[in-house]
Amino acid sequence: MSTNFRIERSELGGAVVLALDGFLDAHTAPQFENAISSEAEAGHLHLIADCRKLSYISSAGLGVFMSFIEEIREKGGDIKLSGIEPKVYQVFEVLGFHELFDIVDNVEAAGALFDQGSRRKD
Amino acid sequence: MEGRTDARLDASRLESLLESAKLLSASLELDELLKHLLRTVMGRLLSLRGAVAIQEDGGLRVAHSRGVTSLRPGQPFNLADAAEAGLTMTFPIGDAAAPAGLLALSPSKRGALDASENDFLEALLGLAASSIENARAHRQVLVANRALDQKVQELSTLLDLGRGLASTIDVDELASILLLTLSGRFAVRRHALFTWKAGQPPIQRVKGLEELDPVALQEQAKTLEGAALRDGLLLLPIRASAETQGIVVLGPRALKLPYGAADLDFAQGLMAQAAVAFENAWHFRDSLFRQQIEQELALAASIQKDLFPKRLPALASTCMAARNRQARQVGGDYYDVLKAGPEVSLLCVADISGKGVAASLLMANLQATLRALLSAGPPITELASKTSDLLYASTPASKYATAFFMKYRPETGACEYVNCGHNEGIVLRASGEVELLNATGMPVGLLPGRKYAAGALQLDSGDLLCLYTDGVTEADNLKEEEFEIERTIECLKAHREEQPETILDRLFEAIDTFAGGAPQHDDITALVLKRT
Repeated sequence: MSTNFRIERSELGGAVVLALDGFLDAHTAPQFENAISSEAEAGHLHLIADCRKLSYISSAGLGVFMSFIEEIREKGGDIKLSGIEPKVYQVFEVLGFHELFDIVDNVEAAGALFDQGSRRKD
Repeated sequence: MEGRTDARLDASRLESLLESAKLLSASLELDELLKHLLRTVMGRLLSLRGAVAIQEDGGLRVAHSRGVTSLRPGQPFNLADAAEAGLTMTFPIGDAAAPAGLLALSPSKRGALDASENDFLEALLGLAASSIENARAHRQVLVANRALDQKVQELSTLLDLGRGLASTIDVDELASILLLTLSGRFAVRRHALFTWKAGQPPIQRVKGLEELDPVALQEQAKTLEGAALRDGLLLLPIRASAETQGIVVLGPRALKLPYGAADLDFAQGLMAQAAVAFENAWHFRDSLFRQQIEQELALAASIQKDLFPKRLPALASTCMAARNRQARQVGGDYYDVLKAGPEVSLLCVADISGKGVAASLLMANLQATLRALLSAGPPITELASKTSDLLYASTPASKYATAFFMKYRPETGACEYVNCGHNEGIVLRASGEVELLNATGMPVGLLPGRKYAAGALQLDSGDLLCLYTDGVTEADNLKEEEFEIERTIECLKAHREEQPETILDRLFEAIDTFAGGAPQHDDITALVLKRT
């Protein structure tokens, strides 16, 4: 199962981009959790989840976003999401995640939001 | 002139009706419909102010207004307010008895409406009424679809959790998967999970709910029938059987959403699945642990097997055989035949107190001690006292051994022995006479500084010696009678003409026949030596 999900890390300006590739489900969520956790520990608080290649997300996957967002926002950072496929976006929408997170078309737009210092309040 | 104007008006009415029909039937957006209606009618009647209200929650409410600030969208609509705002013309939308809404307008700048204009309005409003119904139905379908999407999402969450839980038997990983799934599903940022399964390491996962007291929660969990809301927290007991083994606590949902009854049901479904997975993981951990112990025992048994001599040395004028049968995987009996100097062998049969791994360790200790001492070739009394002191020093006082040590000279048949609290050695003379070799001292390792006396005897051709442990004489049957030394001697007498190996076969058979299916409680060891 673990081969069905990969994370590629890169940097864009001051932000860290985690490109998610494949199935983010209960089985692979811990992998993503570790990735976000180590970024947060390293003090990288401007995080962009690049979802272009994300083909599926389950509640457990969304749970990873929920688990870290408070801590990261408290420290002045944020997680922004970009490039979500319509099928995947539907899941975000159904559970109300689009109201909790900045979701934009692409990584560059997410980076620009960080540059403007904008942050979604809920 | 008059006729042409009428004709143009008629044409424009038809055009407007057609356009409206197209627009109204094509659009499912209620707001768009109502705005269009208001625009069209105000345009046709040249009214400067207007409002449209529709039935909502059992009363008319303003949907849109133009040119009147006093009628705000959303507020209840009544005719008096409308009249005051100058909207003196009202038209029901649809059936006048149960209208879907109402259109209120300021007087037409074109004066009183003629019959044709009224017909037109009636047609337009009829059209609007059915479109409003359509839009409303559509809106309900959307709501239903959304509910359906939620259900689909719930199902796929259940399925995904099921797969995730099935993919691991690691308890900590299960806790992670469960918390992530619940947090994602309910958009929750703070959560905690505690378990207190007996005999298992407890799990404590807390994020943002550090103020929780696990001990108090455990008490509270006992009183919970299922999912429950307390002080804005969702409590979900982990329970696969009668006993609650743990609890999940979820903090408030984001977006200030409440936990509804359906959410509680759903969470309970997830928990039921998770509880079974936890049970399985715990059970697996248990059996893995047991399996490890068994593997270690098997290893100990194979090590112990190597401690016994693989074959006895060939000695002049001597036939010899020895056998050990353990009651458990590892035991505390020991026999050995060691070189104790030129043309001297040491025969040894010992029984270590207790059973199992502890006894087997002591047996290994005894063997090592003997071998170390033998290299200096001490007198047999010194061998016994030094063995005793070394064992005493290296083991707790409750650990000791009874032992029979005999120095045997194959060339002459001369024997010297020390019986350290052990069973009597049996000597069966060629003449048929029986001699018993009684204890000459205390068990080894029991007390410090013990001295031992030695006995001596001569074995001649046709004589038979049997050394054994109490597993032979104390083997019991279902009536709790013991095999006793008498039956042992009887058996040796009956088969004394056989080879030692065969005599042992008969002895073990006799013991088994006597026991008659009673379980073997103790290790059974015997050594038979025949002087040729």
